[in-house]
Amino acid sequence: MAEPVLNIRNLSVNYFTPRGTVQALRCINLQVPPAKVVGLVGESGCGKSTLISAVIRLMAENARVAAGEIRFLGQDMHRLSSRDLQNIRGKDMSMVFQDPMTALNPVFTVGRQMKDIQYRDAVSRKEKLKRASDMLSLVGIPDAVSRLDNYPHHFSGGMRQRITIAMALLVQPKLLIADEPTTALDATLEVQIIRLLKELQTGFQCAILFISHHLNVIAELCDFVGVMYAGELVEKGSVRDIFHRPGHPYTRALLECDPSVIAEPTRFLPTIPGEIPSLIDLPAGCIFHDRCPRAAQVCKNTPPPEVSLAEHHTAACHCLEV
Amino acid sequence: MAPLLEVDHLRVRFKTKSAVKALIEKDDDPYIDGVMGVSFAIEPGQTYGLVGESGSGKTTVARAIMGLLPVHSGAIRFHGENLVGLSRDRIKPFRRDIALMFQDPAGSLSPRLKIRSILAEPFRIHDMMPENLSVEVARLLKMVNLSPSMGDLYPHQLSGGQARRVGVARALALSPKLIIADEPTAGLDVSVQGEILNLMAQLQNDMGLSFLIITHNLAVVRHVSDHVAIMYLGRFLEQGPTQTVFHRMRHPYTQALLSAHASPDPDAVHHRISISGEIPGLVSRPRGCEFHTRCPGVQEKCRRQFPDKAGAGKDHRYFCHYPLSVPEN
Ligand SMILES: Nc1ncnc2c1ncn2[C@@H]1O[C@H](COP(=O)(O)OP(=O)(O)OP(=O)(O)O)[C@@H](O)[C@H]1O
Ligand SMILES: Nc1ncnc2c1ncn2[C@@H]1O[C@H](COP(=O)(O)OP(=O)(O)O)[C@@H](O)[C@H]1O
Ligand code: SF4
Ligand code: SF4
Ligand SMILES: [Mg+2]
Ligand SMILES: [Mg+2]
Repeated sequence: MAEPVLNIRNLSVNYFTPRGTVQALRCINLQVPPAKVVGLVGESGCGKSTLISAVIRLMAENARVAAGEIRFLGQDMHRLSSRDLQNIRGKDMSMVFQDPMTALNPVFTVGRQMKDIQYRDAVSRKEKLKRASDMLSLVGIPDAVSRLDNYPHHFSGGMRQRITIAMALLVQPKLLIADEPTTALDATLEVQIIRLLKELQTGFQCAILFISHHLNVIAELCDFVGVMYAGELVEKGSVRDIFHRPGHPYTRALLECDPSVIAEPTRFLPTIPGEIPSLIDLPAGCIFHDRCPRAAQVCKNTPPPEVSLAEHHTAACHCLEV
Repeated sequence: MAPLLEVDHLRVRFKTKSAVKALIEKDDDPYIDGVMGVSFAIEPGQTYGLVGESGSGKTTVARAIMGLLPVHSGAIRFHGENLVGLSRDRIKPFRRDIALMFQDPAGSLSPRLKIRSILAEPFRIHDMMPENLSVEVARLLKMVNLSPSMGDLYPHQLSGGQARRVGVARALALSPKLIIADEPTAGLDVSVQGEILNLMAQLQNDMGLSFLIITHNLAVVRHVSDHVAIMYLGRFLEQGPTQTVFHRMRHPYTQALLSAHASPDPDAVHHRISISGEIPGLVSRPRGCEFHTRCPGVQEKCRRQFPDKAGAGKDHRYFCHYPLSVPEN
């Protein structure tokens, strides 16, 4: 693999709460290669948003990086001065969130906001507005020039999300981070956004870290996939390895739960019985053992090793040892 | 069997500006149609699915049935009695029989109330406080497979799946006959989504409940609903038994919507029927067939004339001048 744009090594993050220390991420290793799309999947509460907050260094007040490092374009994100950090965020690295209104200001026109985001560039106001309208056309907003004068509430939900993507890409980032950008959209808009991201990723050579509950979207968009469970990255590999040759029992169970793979209509869908363990009192052994259909005695006592299944394909599980 | 709920040519209008402004601007029709004459029926123990793009009017239909919005015209019959125009007192007993599960449970559960108070709310609102509230709360929590000790927690201390369960428990409080579930699983991962849908199916089996499920998720609708309606700009463009609509659809919009769905296989080849552009605004409702601005099969007549409702067999209805041919087998 080429030198990764984003290199997360042995990352552990804790939240300090009155009830105890939540060990939300434990020893995460994840790389995002240049111009590739890496997807993250896993049950809610498994730590996807925590991982992103650590990467962009916008963590909750009670959060601490307990170990490890995050290198973005070779620089250690958690050692940068706040000035260097400002320069990276919204320039080399930009973000799209689930709710487009977290990125859009309701009281300014879209044109004004798209102009302001280019404040670092020494070009004329006219040029900036032109870039903005070009980018709006690119993301499929009709009549882009006249719509620069509109406020966010003049656009539908799907259009607003495309506008936030346009804004995120205006700065030509090396890495785009998207946390469930299509969750609030319906199937037709979701397809439009995926198609757009795919085109833009090829056109701008931008790497993407993409989080979604929609396995079908992950399958369609991503080159690599990481599967998280209760704060650990239990399996990672190419999109084909994960969907066609999943190794970890959790990954297998998760894929089987997807209602779109079940051909015959049924009222009772597969689930993964049991619950995520407490991240305050972590169980010994494998983190998945109390829900795993293949759990053996060793799983209850000994943490599983990371087993290599193919090039770039690894899973942490005792039953995969050869 | 007589339907539990029968919606007949329901029309809901929204005012777009104040009366004064309309007068000044000489606008004699300052209204938009949120729901434009929809008809459907739900039998006892059955599930009806409502599908459509954002802004198509799904939640508006639900709110009209709940009596939370004024109805412009049409009827909403529950157990044969028309709820439209009933006085507050007359309507109250029916209200208890129809419960709503909100679109966003985290946002709709009051953050400062403990779960037990949240579950007590429906009793309070309907002036039906049970003698022993904590027994009742424990019973409701048990019905949705949560431990009674959860009553002492606040909503932010629950996981996404647990919060949804509390939403289900709250809807069950007054033993309703119909539950309207607006996006019951949006934002949940597939394993937790399955748990919630299974819980709903279980309750339906045990108690003979009917559901009206509103969702974007076509994979879910295909499994859980007996009938489905495809909504666009406030109309049901196509409706019928779920299997029929999914496999023998006649409306081009249904086909496009269903073909948009991705497959969880990285090697899948998608045969998507692309529909271009945005859903038009309600203010600028297109003339003729309202889908004509995006329809891949549009013809001259579609731009001029609104298509009549056509039927194909039992319960299957659609609006289109040039319906798709039915696939073989
Ligand atoms: N009180 C209101 N006044 C004016 N317009 C309204 C009002 N409530 C809803 N609308 C409009 O009616 C249409 C239907 O809204 P509705 O909330 O029913 O959509 P929906 O199908 O539930 O969408 P989503 O999938 O995004 O929840 C939208 O165009 C909306 O802007
Ligand atoms: N500010 C916080 N304080 C304490 N615990 C938190 C905080 N934020 C998140 N958590 C916990 O950390 C874990 C991971 O959460 P999150 O990263 O939001 O998961 P995901 O995005 O995968 O749903 C969960 O157990 C969650 O409850
Ligand atoms: S290590 Fe054991 S418990 Fe853990 S996933 Fe593998 S088989 Fe299951
Ligand atoms: S009536 Fe015409 S425009 Fe409307 S759906 Fe049918 S073919 Fe398309
Ligand atoms: Mg999250
Ligand atoms: Mg809605």
